[in-house]
Amino acid sequence: MLLDVHDLHVEFHTRDGVARAVNGVSYGVDEGETLAVLGESGSGKSVTAQAIMGILDVPPGRITGGEVIFKGRDLLPLKEEQRRKVRGAEMAMIFQDALSSLNPVLSVGDQLGEMFTVHRGMSKKDARAKAVELMDRVRIPAARERVRQYPHQFSGGMRQRIMIAMALALEPALIIADEPTTALDVTVQAQVMELLAELQREYRMGLILITHDLGVVADVADRIAVMYAGRIVESAPVHDIYKAPAHPYTRGLLDSIPRLDQKGRELYAIKGLPPNLMDIPPGCAFHPRCPMARDVCRTDEPPLYEVTESETDRGSACHFWRECLHG
Amino acid sequence: MGRYVVRRLLQMIPVFVGATLLIFLMVNVMGDPIAGLCGERRCDPATAAQLEKEFGLDKPVWQQYLTYMGNVFTGDFGTAFNGQEVTELMATAFPVTIRLTVIAILFEIVVGIALGVVTGLRRGRPVDTGVLLLTLVVISVPTFVTGLLLQLLLGVKWGWIRPSVSSEAPFDELILPGLVLASVSLAYVTRLTRTSIAENRRSDYVRTAVAKGLPRHRVITRHLLRTSLIPVVTFIGADIGFLMGGAIVTERIFNIHGVGYQIYQGILRQNTQTVVGFVTVLVLVFLVANLVVDLLYAVLDPRIRYA
Repeated sequence: MLLDVHDLHVEFHTRDGVARAVNGVSYGVDEGETLAVLGESGSGKSVTAQAIMGILDVPPGRITGGEVIFKGRDLLPLKEEQRRKVRGAEMAMIFQDALSSLNPVLSVGDQLGEMFTVHRGMSKKDARAKAVELMDRVRIPAARERVRQYPHQFSGGMRQRIMIAMALALEPALIIADEPTTALDVTVQAQVMELLAELQREYRMGLILITHDLGVVADVADRIAVMYAGRIVESAPVHDIYKAPAHPYTRGLLDSIPRLDQKGRELYAIKGLPPNLMDIPPGCAFHPRCPMARDVCRTDEPPLYEVTESETDRGSACHFWRECLHG
Repeated sequence: MGRYVVRRLLQMIPVFVGATLLIFLMVNVMGDPIAGLCGERRCDPATAAQLEKEFGLDKPVWQQYLTYMGNVFTGDFGTAFNGQEVTELMATAFPVTIRLTVIAILFEIVVGIALGVVTGLRRGRPVDTGVLLLTLVVISVPTFVTGLLLQLLLGVKWGWIRPSVSSEAPFDELILPGLVLASVSLAYVTRLTRTSIAENRRSDYVRTAVAKGLPRHRVITRHLLRTSLIPVVTFIGADIGFLMGGAIVTERIFNIHGVGYQIYQGILRQNTQTVVGFVTVLVLVFLVANLVVDLLYAVLDPRIRYA
């Protein structure tokens, strides 16, 4: 396994109290595999990614437990200088809003070239040539001329391509893409996603795709991990989940996708709001919103049960996963 | 860029004319320019008329202004009533004030920005609170108090420095006056840098820089500092003109014979030529400093395009 996150816990200490953002998340990604991490805002999917990358704001954030085993070694006990060398070179991250994520006052060539001058000790001239090569690679037209331009001179889609190029620069083994297409037009979304998937296949990278868009997931992901209130509530190969979800929350997410054949009918929405992370409900965190909730859900926190009826490797954190699966 | 500079230079003309005309008129209504020439007594009418004719004061004001400006552009700032050429006064005063301003600006840049970066990165910690409190004190205490106090302590009591600057005003004697002159602006630069750094520190592009695996010093100097300095540069640039003309108090305290001192003397003795001449040059300094700031802005922030 390329990356193995085990029982990760992250807390945020604020003036109002302690927000438990990640509560025992475990997931893994193999070489060449795409894991989609799904969940609403505040479900802890981005925080988990930041903890893996080592870019969590500490304080207020704090990793209180768990392991992040990457290429066979746990990254969490490493010194900052060692972690820094992993970042960008061996694992890279693509952020949601490329306009604000790129430095507005440095040319894209400088920002791409920096990867090579800092991590590889290349000369500025060679780094510039590499930057042009990368821009060609992500199909930005007229790369040689545009390498001198600044982020604001590019369109949204082109900017996100530059982010992808930057992540790809040193051919890392793992890429974490945090909502890479959310800020883009729908038509551009598909192009960027396609490019990302193609490059991932070509370089055989592991890809963690963080998203709340189920449409994006279906085409590119191998596995899906669904997060709720800082925990994984369901984990399964992508086709299994679409066929039959084993957790009521996943079911709710799938049911809230607008469908053409149900035009005119009211759109389904999961009732209620995501829980306050400073005051997560006891038992199953989802029980106040769950249509299937019973007494046991209010008191006993469900572990990630193995879905034994499935031939593939599936897990569900619902006491009544069987019912849900057949429901 | 070239066209922008030309346009800006053209825009400077009306500002320059307006500002100098205003000064010219104000000085002319300030009082009788030849009143001070005959000692304590009033000049007798015949002498007064002769002097007025000699200095061209019998002509209408607008004509006086045109003559004056015409002369200024040939490098003739006129003669003070004591017979000294104004350009001569400038030749002694400006080098002193420029030295003083350079020292003050260096203090603002080096100390102000350094303190701002340190406090901005450690917001809410003891260093931050301490420096913030200190800047508040510096801002609220008037310059003449700070100046006199430091002069008394360092110059008279402890004897570390000469309490009064000699007439050549070498760099080393101007260090303390430079610090006093810079003090309030320095406090503002610190606060401005601090806020800017603290704000941009949480920005997405700084997070990206960290995620790229750049060393901390590179993240700060290359990614954080550059964007954060944009408002600071504006402030410091505008301050250059202000410091050059606004050093009157500091120059008085430390007996520095610079621009502020000469203007002060000029006003006191109703020396119109001196006052108008110096102020005209200061207006030019202001205008050029502002232009330089605007051009620097475009260098620092490529999003600003001058066409």
